[in-house]
Amino acid sequence: MEVDRVDGRTRNQLRPLACSRNLLNRAHGSARWSQGDTIVLAAVYGPKAGTRKNENPEKASIEVIWKPKTGQIGKPEKEYEMILKRTLQSICLLTVYPNTTTSIIVQVVNDDGSLLPCAINAACAALVDAGIPLKHLSVAICCCLEENGTVVLDPTKLEEQKMQAFAYLVFPNSVLSVLPQGPSSVESEPLEHGIITSVTHGVMSVDDYLHCLERGRSASAKISDFLRRSLQSQLPSDRSKAA
Amino acid sequence: MDDRSLNLTTSFIDQIVVPGDVVLDLSSMSNQTIKLGGGLRQDCDTISVMKAGKLKFSKPNKYWVESSQKRYVPCVEDTILGTVVDSKADNFLVDIKGPTLAFLPVLAFEGGTRRNIPKYEAGTLLYVRVVKANAGMNPELSCTDASGKAAEFGVLKDGYMFETSTGLSRMLLSSPTCPVLEALGKKLSFEIAIGLNGRVWVNAASPSTVILVSNAIMNSESLSGVQQRIMVEKLMQKFQSSS
Repeated sequence: MEVDRVDGRTRNQLRPLACSRNLLNRAHGSARWSQGDTIVLAAVYGPKAGTRKNENPEKASIEVIWKPKTGQIGKPEKEYEMILKRTLQSICLLTVYPNTTTSIIVQVVNDDGSLLPCAINAACAALVDAGIPLKHLSVAICCCLEENGTVVLDPTKLEEQKMQAFAYLVFPNSVLSVLPQGPSSVESEPLEHGIITSVTHGVMSVDDYLHCLERGRSASAKISDFLRRSLQSQLPSDRSKAA
Repeated sequence: MDDRSLNLTTSFIDQIVVPGDVVLDLSSMSNQTIKLGGGLRQDCDTISVMKAGKLKFSKPNKYWVESSQKRYVPCVEDTILGTVVDSKADNFLVDIKGPTLAFLPVLAFEGGTRRNIPKYEAGTLLYVRVVKANAGMNPELSCTDASGKAAEFGVLKDGYMFETSTGLSRMLLSSPTCPVLEALGKKLSFEIAIGLNGRVWVNAASPSTVILVSNAIMNSESLSGVQQRIMVEKLMQKFQSSS
């Protein structure tokens, strides 16, 4: 059954995406990611020398600071920071610069649903802008579940509040490769079938969760294409023939 | 993804690649030595991309990813501008906009002995050469060239230092001379030192010349050669009409 959403989208349709990088003067990398009316600004500083006491000095450490739009910093912000930190730790190559700290500061500009996925996308784009070595990019999406079991992608804030359950899913991006696809590849499944992070709220059955995963994965391919195009258009063209 | 069967290694050269893209398959090229520059890493039998940028290839066997960042990755034999942060018994600690501080041995000057160690305060600007840059270790610098002569290295007095991206520094140092520097050099006389780590020092007889040159350089990052010359012409006209 088709569900009529308030803004006229279909169930699987995402809101318009926009990404701009290198906005902030002093930050080493910055990106602003918007999905519809949800806008998040991420800034990356680093890598800088030294790690904090409890961190492993053989690896780079990542520090995330989440700044909400209004109000004081409390437990929800700490939870977002922890989720972001774990997600970004799994995409960064931590052994390239040991004993350094990279700080990522996420500022919520506007929250209209699907805030954490938007922040993860913004943080990933900011890391690319800062030149931090990454294994691959991360693409995040929010899937929610209605009472009748239909899966709806990228909800607005009103839709999110009415849903029975929702899941934030983060997948690796789809990579271009010179390797031949098919049975000769050593890995049993291509990289895009992996998942980096999954955060769920509310009650859903296992089958519903698997549906969410499937829908989320196919939508992540679209976001991954968008991210690749935005990286291609903003990188400076080749002018220098270095002596 | 579409089928790439022939000429696999040439498909990504001079194209923008994002982290995660697999650009070379080593199992298909045995008995060859390949040199990898910045932005690429070896992952078992494949070469994959760590930083977003344009993949470049130079014969016979060098591959690297060219990108422009605000931070610097230390490489041997680069000439850079560093600021002294602290001085220890054996080394000066110098900030070079990299992941860690760099060491400049107190004897790494022409005719340097224990009796005539220079006294540099914190904040002194130095034009230095990178001697060692190993992963995980602090880079080592020197104020002499490979044969031990001073060769323009050392303290830069007076003048004005500003920070740009590494891509702009490479463009300014490219040969033939970068259009913006050529156009400025025809009308004004100034001294300039460009560090590959994204720092530029300008000195001239009058402060207005310094400001003019610095602003012209900072504005020229995203302009083509012809646009740079036009921009400098306009600046010179405004400057001459107002003075």
